[in-house]
Amino acid sequence: MRPSHFTPGLILSLAAPLGFCLALPSVVNAQTNVRDGLQTNPPPIAIESSTNGLGSWIWASHTTDRQTCRLWRSIEIPATATVTHAELRMTVDNEFVLFLDGRNLGRGGEWNELFDFNLTYLLAPGPHVLAVEAYNDSDYAGLILGMEVDLSDGRRIDIKSDDNWRVVPNTEKHWETATRSSEKWPRATVIGPLGTKPWWLEPHRVNTMELLLPIKVPFWRTGWFQISVLAVCGAAILVSLRLVGQLAIHRRERWLLQKERGRIARDIHDDVGSRLTQLVLHGEVAQSELPPESATRQQIDQICQEAREVLSTMDEILWGLNPKRDTYRDFTSYICGYAQGFLKSTEIQCLFDVAPQTASVVLELPFRRALLMAVKESLNNAVKHSGATEIMLRMACEGQTLAVILSDNGRGFDPARAKPGRNGLANMAQRLEEVGGSCRVTSRPGQGCRTELSVRLRHRLRPRSWRWSAEERSGRAQPSDPLETNYS
Amino acid sequence: MTKSLPTIQFSEASGKSRLRVALVEDQPKVRESWARLINSFPDCSCVCACATGEEALRVIPGEKPQVILVDIFLPRMSGIECTSRLKEMLPETQIIILTAMDDQELVFMALEAGADGYLLKRIKPAELRLALLDVLRGGAPMTSQVARRVIESFRRPGKPKDETAALSVREEQILQLLSQGYSNKLIADRLEISVDTVCSHLKHVYSKLHVNSRTAAVVRYMSSKPPAGA
Repeated sequence: MRPSHFTPGLILSLAAPLGFCLALPSVVNAQTNVRDGLQTNPPPIAIESSTNGLGSWIWASHTTDRQTCRLWRSIEIPATATVTHAELRMTVDNEFVLFLDGRNLGRGGEWNELFDFNLTYLLAPGPHVLAVEAYNDSDYAGLILGMEVDLSDGRRIDIKSDDNWRVVPNTEKHWETATRSSEKWPRATVIGPLGTKPWWLEPHRVNTMELLLPIKVPFWRTGWFQISVLAVCGAAILVSLRLVGQLAIHRRERWLLQKERGRIARDIHDDVGSRLTQLVLHGEVAQSELPPESATRQQIDQICQEAREVLSTMDEILWGLNPKRDTYRDFTSYICGYAQGFLKSTEIQCLFDVAPQTASVVLELPFRRALLMAVKESLNNAVKHSGATEIMLRMACEGQTLAVILSDNGRGFDPARAKPGRNGLANMAQRLEEVGGSCRVTSRPGQGCRTELSVRLRHRLRPRSWRWSAEERSGRAQPSDPLETNYS
Repeated sequence: MTKSLPTIQFSEASGKSRLRVALVEDQPKVRESWARLINSFPDCSCVCACATGEEALRVIPGEKPQVILVDIFLPRMSGIECTSRLKEMLPETQIIILTAMDDQELVFMALEAGADGYLLKRIKPAELRLALLDVLRGGAPMTSQVARRVIESFRRPGKPKDETAALSVREEQILQLLSQGYSNKLIADRLEISVDTVCSHLKHVYSKLHVNSRTAAVVRYMSSKPPAGA
């Protein structure tokens, strides 16, 4: 403050004519205006109690021009009560910025006015930090402050500007949020009580600052939320990585299993199969060179026949083992071939109705075996018991469900009287259940018999794994099936 | 197919007109057995037995056989490739693929390459003889599975169409019935034609299948030069 600028006489001489003009309709008001000096804007709010609760003027021990003085103190709101009202009034000669718990609440730059902050909604129970960064332009410097906190239990906390405030050195960092004072921070120096010259006894005006509300942090920006999201993501990533790892291992194992199966099949094929085939051939040659009546010829013929049967059994096993024969087409082709071969020696005509493939499914070994066994069983039953002349074999694959339906035109039977287990029906159902399929046999005396087998298959993820596809491409030029290479 | 096939013209005439059979089989003992078996038939004679596909391409055309039996698995040049090359050199000669394993996929590949039929190696001698005669008379019997694959193959979209290789209505009718499990005899009854006619239709189907797939599959073998001396 510059004392030379301010003399009551000057103010009066300047303000009297102006105030007189403005306040002409009311003599009483004119008197007030005079007391308010230059204040011509909206009439000031009641300031009778504006100085109530204010402390003393305080500052650092030395006052200099262009000085920044940081004043700090902590307050404690009891945890047992809530704040019903909290108000802080202050001013600084010349300027200040007020912080509460590090939050910038506002600034003021008029030493002869008071600045009123409503802190009702900011003071939650617990410790708080009041910090003021004050600035002196030149000459006199001081801060005056008073704060009243009303609690729900009727108590009142008064905070004033006094020597409980600390002066924080300008080199300190994060001082406005520091919850504890340092021993190095000196106490504030009390310059004088309210009314000390050159300052006022009554402020010229009280500026009500904008109501301060707690900063609402959206829930997604709160620390705990972000931490939990991160934790969940982290856990998810870990779980996925683990699953990916397991999948890779599983795939590798599957591939190895298929490869191993292929190898076993090839070995059986190359060693046992080809030699047995040769045996049949040599047997036939030997037989053809014997006289037709020879008893040995008959024996050799029987041996050859036996060997042929072994070979067809082997074909069946190898078909099951061959990892490349797992398509719907391979399956239908095999089943048709089997049915035709099986019924060739009987009077039964076998007809087929094979729907074209619509979905790409994988018929893995357990499914192939279970279905083949069930088809065999049904054909066997038909040959043994039905007396049918025709068997219709229908196959269709819709979506992931493969259905095989065998129906004959035989004499049928009464399912209620059929002893389960004796005719292999139970066996068949059990085999299908093991691979998650179902088997339904419907029949009525005189109406033939219908066996419905259905299984749910896995979709083929890709046409074939790349290891096989390379072979597939060259497959036409040279049969490079794992089962058949090097075989002759 | 009629089992009551007594003899056929050329075997009746004289010993000279026996059915000339060539054989491609890599295992010496097996080759010898096949040759002896074929020679034991009164109306057949094995005119040449080769150990490899390369040898077959070199020797067989000179022997002018009527039927060639080719093992599906041969070292180096596969039986399928050998079939394809032989068919190119001797389009009129019937080629039968021999396989130890009843694998319709492989059989179909051989048929596409130009084979006129296939036989399981464990076939009974009497059936072998009938098959040899059959294949000359008409098409070799076709299983329902192969018939289904043939239909599929002709219906495959986006394939360059060769008008001469399209199936006739009758041929497709016969293939449909075959795929449904009807035998040649039943088909003949149903369509009121003779079994021989059915067989000859099948023979056309085999050759059309070969023409039809030549553009795709067989060109692959033919694009590379045949081995030296072939």
